[in-house]
Amino acid sequence: MSNRLSGQAAIVGIGATEFSKESGRSELQLSVEAIGHALADAGLVASDVDGLVTFTMDTSAEIAVGRELGMGDLRFFSRINYGGGAACGTVQQAAMAVATGVADVVVCYRGFNERSGSRFGQVSSWANAQVNTNGLDNAWSYPAGLSTPAATVAMQARRYMHETGATSEDFGRVAVADRRHAANNPAAFFYGKPITLADHQASRMIADPLHLLDCCQESDGAVALVVTTTERAKDLAHPAAVITAAAQGSAPDQFVMTSYYRPNIGIPEIGVVGRELWRQSELAPTDIATAVLYDHFTPYVLMQLEELGFCGVGEAKDFIADGAIEIGGRLPINTHGGQLGEAYIHGMNGIAEAVRQVRGTSVNQVDDVQHVLVTAGTGVPTSGLILSR
Amino acid sequence: MQIGDTFAAWELPITPTLVVSTAIATRDFQDVHHDRDLATSYGSKDIFLNILTTTGLVERYVTDVLGEEYDVTGISVRLGAPAYPYDTLTFSGDVVAATETTMEIKVVGQVSLGAHVTATVGVRVR
Amino acid sequence: MSDIDLREAVMAKALELQVMGETAPRYARDQVNQPMINNWVEAMGDSLSRYTQGEAPPAMAQVWTMGGLNPQRDPNDPLHSMMEFLTEQGFTAVLGTNCEQTYERYLRVGEQLSVTTVLDSVVGPKMTGVGEGYFVTTKSVWRVEDEVVATMLFRVLKYRPKQADANAVDPTKVLRPAINRDTEFFWEGTRQGELRLQQCGSCHELRHPPGPACPSCGEFDRTFVVSSGVGRLFSFVVHRYPAVPGKQLPLLLGLIELDEGVRMVAELVGMGPEDVEIDMPVQVAWQRIDDSLTLPVFERRS
Repeated sequence: MSNRLSGQAAIVGIGATEFSKESGRSELQLSVEAIGHALADAGLVASDVDGLVTFTMDTSAEIAVGRELGMGDLRFFSRINYGGGAACGTVQQAAMAVATGVADVVVCYRGFNERSGSRFGQVSSWANAQVNTNGLDNAWSYPAGLSTPAATVAMQARRYMHETGATSEDFGRVAVADRRHAANNPAAFFYGKPITLADHQASRMIADPLHLLDCCQESDGAVALVVTTTERAKDLAHPAAVITAAAQGSAPDQFVMTSYYRPNIGIPEIGVVGRELWRQSELAPTDIATAVLYDHFTPYVLMQLEELGFCGVGEAKDFIADGAIEIGGRLPINTHGGQLGEAYIHGMNGIAEAVRQVRGTSVNQVDDVQHVLVTAGTGVPTSGLILSR
Repeated sequence: MQIGDTFAAWELPITPTLVVSTAIATRDFQDVHHDRDLATSYGSKDIFLNILTTTGLVERYVTDVLGEEYDVTGISVRLGAPAYPYDTLTFSGDVVAATETTMEIKVVGQVSLGAHVTATVGVRVR
Repeated sequence: MSDIDLREAVMAKALELQVMGETAPRYARDQVNQPMINNWVEAMGDSLSRYTQGEAPPAMAQVWTMGGLNPQRDPNDPLHSMMEFLTEQGFTAVLGTNCEQTYERYLRVGEQLSVTTVLDSVVGPKMTGVGEGYFVTTKSVWRVEDEVVATMLFRVLKYRPKQADANAVDPTKVLRPAINRDTEFFWEGTRQGELRLQQCGSCHELRHPPGPACPSCGEFDRTFVVSSGVGRLFSFVVHRYPAVPGKQLPLLLGLIELDEGVRMVAELVGMGPEDVEIDMPVQVAWQRIDDSLTLPVFERRS
């Protein structure tokens, strides 16, 4: 296979609103604000933008965003399905568009009032009522009562514990690491609020074996990312975060959050992403200084470490036991605090943190960062990136 | 009979008359077994079979099958869903233990709401 | 009173009554007699001829000593005292749960019975399907003169009824499955009490969830088999938050691996969170919601 995408495009601007539990403004306004900040960060203006990419789930149409920002002609617009699995996929779309010359400057955005508006943590009745194959798929779990993201993950987590011997405390170590990092991050909702493993164990059960502190926050906010060619990036404000690899992944017998019918009910889709990232980048796990692993639920972080090859199958609990994923460890992850600590913006805030690590501007900066790996929503068809200096 | 033998099922339609006549025959005058208005006022759907009757019906089911060859030595019942009028109480039985002279029969009485009674009946050759 | 104080008070009362021991014998109103036997066998529909020949049905043992229409309460009756105490503490409702009778011999017409009762145990508080309460067990012994002829362990749940309020769950509010022509056969089956698994008519591969084509051979030749409904628990969840339409919390959800080799998500019923474990044998049961929907649920297979 050829490898024509690697190094062709870069993220040159990042922007976000504040992260809160009640933004007090419309989802469209949040996205427009975030895009404005991202363009300013890049040293570009709205009229430079000729492409927009967002999530299928986003409520703000590309044309509405374009109108509010006074954009000119748009030559490229695209949307990616499967909830948070779309995050890195939006950047892949943008990278492919600018690498092929279909567009020059593409903005990826995601904005929502996910706490004050429609809460993802509640029973997703809408997902059951969809008139499409996703709705039909949900007929095999929702009527039985398996109808929240936490419960669907708990089913996989219980089996993972059974097969690997991992415990609730092993899941808790992910939450402790994230919250430690968030405690240093003024933008994080849980700034200055670290937790201990005992706090994690004492938090109430949501969907046993998942405690409250295994589950990410529900957040209001928006994040935007500006993508252009590495060539043009040289003239812009910040050092470019070069897109060394960008991949999507779905595995055989794939469902959204309920891939329970294949022999192993883990998350092989992230393995698909990982293999493609290593292939495109010609890198290996040991080349990665820090990673942003999608952490809407802690068990998936352990499973991702295994699927991406940072450790062997069933060994994640040992890999993280000595603080390896905390700042100063072998592989610090989610240095912004993750979605458990900073905010849940469907993974887009994690990509922004990866850009900061490449630039050297993170509040929890890791030394000597050459390459950062980022993943998108797990349990669903997903995506990933490797960003480099 | 031996372990694993199954009794033919017995379907007994529950009627108000059955509930009331058996309650009185067992000298159980609690209102929930004969006064529908009071029974519903307590949140019950209707009057319902009393426990002494359930025990009596379990005994009858077993002795109907076994005849007069055996004495009943014990009946242990676990109660479940109430048996209301207009439902059907369906008994099934399985021999779960047996010696030369004794047997234990597991009896389940099922109504539409689930198991009304799960019982173990001990018998001994006369 | 705090929960702990309340429990201590209940246990102290139980101990006080247990120490009192057996009540004085209470005598049956009538001797064992043929007219009452006749009433009983008539109502039960029992036709055993020995009951017309001087023997009484064993299950009548308790009938002889029933209190009748205007029962005189023995102030020392431990069951009554315990019940009254629990009622005062708010455990107002009562439900018989177990009755274990043994019969030493058949009673004969003309015999005079007496009964004594002792408080056997009080266990709780336990959270049950109907509310929180205590299981109160008494032991009764029937005698003819000094000869023990029958015994009974009788257990009731004395409970605080759950509030029948906005928290009450309406099962008809469950989320309805999206159904199309590829999946209709499954739901048609559940309405008939059949757990139908799609089978390829060409290569015979089984599949769940179903779909229009066979992923193994590509044919559109769909048939189905009716599953045994028997399998094992592959994984499970105890859902505690948030509320789920039509479901009581905590909600037990299982991923069942059927003996036929396919998996299925369903609610687990007839068990509590502490009873569930991976690899537990289970079998299908049915939860009829209304005319249009019946859901498969799974219970423990013994």
